[in-house]
Amino acid sequence: MRNDSERTASAGRTASADLGPALTETVVVAPDAPRRRRRWSRAVSLALLVVGAALVLSFPFIAPNPYILSAGVVILNYAVLSTGWNFMGGFTGYISLGHAAYFGLGAYGTGLIVKYLELPGFVAWVLAALVVVAISVPVGIAALRVRGASFVIVSIAFVLILLLVFQSWREFTGGSEGLIVPRPFPDLLRPEHHRAFFYLFAGLLAAALVAWWVIDRSKFGTALKSIREDEDKARSLGVPTTRYKLIAYVLSALVTGLGGGLYALWFGDLDPIFQFSILIGSYMVLMALLGGVRHLFGPLLGALIVGIALEYFKLEFGDTQFHLVAAGLLLGVVVLFMPDGVIPAVGQLIDRFRPQQTSIRDVSAAELLEQNRRSDASATGAADAREASGEASTRDASDVSDASDPKEVTR
Amino acid sequence: MASEPMAAASGAASNAAASTNLLELNDIEAGYGRAALVLRGLTVQVPPATVVCLVGPNGAGKSTVLKVASGMLAPRSGSILVDGVDVTGTNSQRMLKHGLAHVLQGHSVFREMTVAENVLLGAFTVKDQKVIDERVAFVQNLFPIVGERWKQLAGLLSGGQQKQVEFARSLMVSPKVVLLDEPSMGLDPKTTAKVFEQVARMRDAGTAVLLVEQNARRALETADIGCVLDLGRVHISGPAPELLADPTLGELYLGGRPAS
Repeated sequence: MRNDSERTASAGRTASADLGPALTETVVVAPDAPRRRRRWSRAVSLALLVVGAALVLSFPFIAPNPYILSAGVVILNYAVLSTGWNFMGGFTGYISLGHAAYFGLGAYGTGLIVKYLELPGFVAWVLAALVVVAISVPVGIAALRVRGASFVIVSIAFVLILLLVFQSWREFTGGSEGLIVPRPFPDLLRPEHHRAFFYLFAGLLAAALVAWWVIDRSKFGTALKSIREDEDKARSLGVPTTRYKLIAYVLSALVTGLGGGLYALWFGDLDPIFQFSILIGSYMVLMALLGGVRHLFGPLLGALIVGIALEYFKLEFGDTQFHLVAAGLLLGVVVLFMPDGVIPAVGQLIDRFRPQQTSIRDVSAAELLEQNRRSDASATGAADAREASGEASTRDASDVSDASDPKEVTR
Repeated sequence: MASEPMAAASGAASNAAASTNLLELNDIEAGYGRAALVLRGLTVQVPPATVVCLVGPNGAGKSTVLKVASGMLAPRSGSILVDGVDVTGTNSQRMLKHGLAHVLQGHSVFREMTVAENVLLGAFTVKDQKVIDERVAFVQNLFPIVGERWKQLAGLLSGGQQKQVEFARSLMVSPKVVLLDEPSMGLDPKTTAKVFEQVARMRDAGTAVLLVEQNARRALETADIGCVLDLGRVHISGPAPELLADPTLGELYLGGRPAS
């Protein structure tokens, strides 16, 4: 869609030029600088993407010990969850604090299917994802009836209900004793197991990022963003807000659920208090907000920062609650100083060192006048180009003095 | 209810058969909450290819008329017909499907989205990409700022520029009836002229336009029919040039004597 609109944008500009002198004053020749800058920044982001992907793929070989590798798996898992959350939170602005519900359902779904149906781990994983979708539809229909703070509360209520159910239904879920999920690769040693799952999580993350990127550029994505901006207005423009919100919600639940299922197969031991904790849901929100919810890589960056910080605090301070304090402080700092996240904040910092864009007009009054004269000249016919340019240049001399006359340059 | 005989709703419209009006508001009573009624038995008819302009003092109920017509405010009594179909009680989303578009007062662009996204959302209900491309070229030609700022966030534009983006957005579909609330608000004279030129062009293409405008004189110059609202009813209505020429009306509602 972007490319199309770019094309039509230039089409519109040439069309207005064709209308002749009456409208030529409106033709502003786009300066080359922004386009060059855009190409440049595209090259930079492509290079960053390649470097980032190479780093991720080589991490299992760089990692000095299995513990660091397992921390890498945890962080990738966070990145998947947070990116999954961002299908809903980033596009529609609906903040769900209870997305751990789908993390837990994906994990327990996989574990229970393996346990009771005795299916292979990855088959169970896919089936559990379908179960998550089936559950998220009615929940979404109910929860999305309300907006703002009410939606947040409904999302929390849902995860609390699930926590109670999975804790109390001992015979089925194992209750607080936990649920053991057999490993899908029984032959692999622990470091190899971590490595395999590192790549599985990386693949899932890549798929989620591609899906988010595609939606971001689609008409569907634009409609979702309009819901984030002003739901009533979006509705009045004909956007089927209820249906679109539900699709985003279910997609978000699906990615989060897949992340949970993979976690179950990797970790092998599930506990309701961890799987259905509001804390996990809050981490998803914190990571996405920290990185920037409007950016493809925002949640991933947030997961990287928060994930490393959490691991560090656990390592350094053991079983204390320090990591919670740190997470709380971080959330406060983000909300106060970088409400849009790290990526936009850094972007603004870089923009400071770039040439300023004028806010009102791309060209000065004198330039505009000169352009008008030039297009006047070309409109009268390119019969004698030399004469026209000669005329234009003689006019130029007077332009400079005329340019301050507001009547001549008012649009 | 009405102590004085209801003024003929609109000169040309009252002669035409009911079914030929693209928009009809019949005997509307409406108000907000428990407060007193704002509209008390208002009747307005807009035939095809006609611009009807509502003028009147502040608080006469001009904007309320548009809210009722667009389904944002349900009337307590009376009926709304769009192209002969009774749409009373329909919400604003459905109204678009019936062919009625409402350009809201004030700034209503999506600020955190690009101009392109804003404009293309206007064509959300249009499925044909070719039609969309044509409309984009059309609105960019009409409002050059839209093309120039195509990739920028709409919130970074000035108020008048945002207004033009809004217009561009509303012109992406070609509705049967357009409700315009204060289209000239915040625009410089030249852009205002363009907007009214566009209103006239929509009218010439067969669209029925119901216009509310503070800049009453300017609006009546474009409009075919003027309706003077007072106390929630149509006080006087008639061909716009006649209203403009009427010295008493000018004094009372249009501010000063007719220009020239």
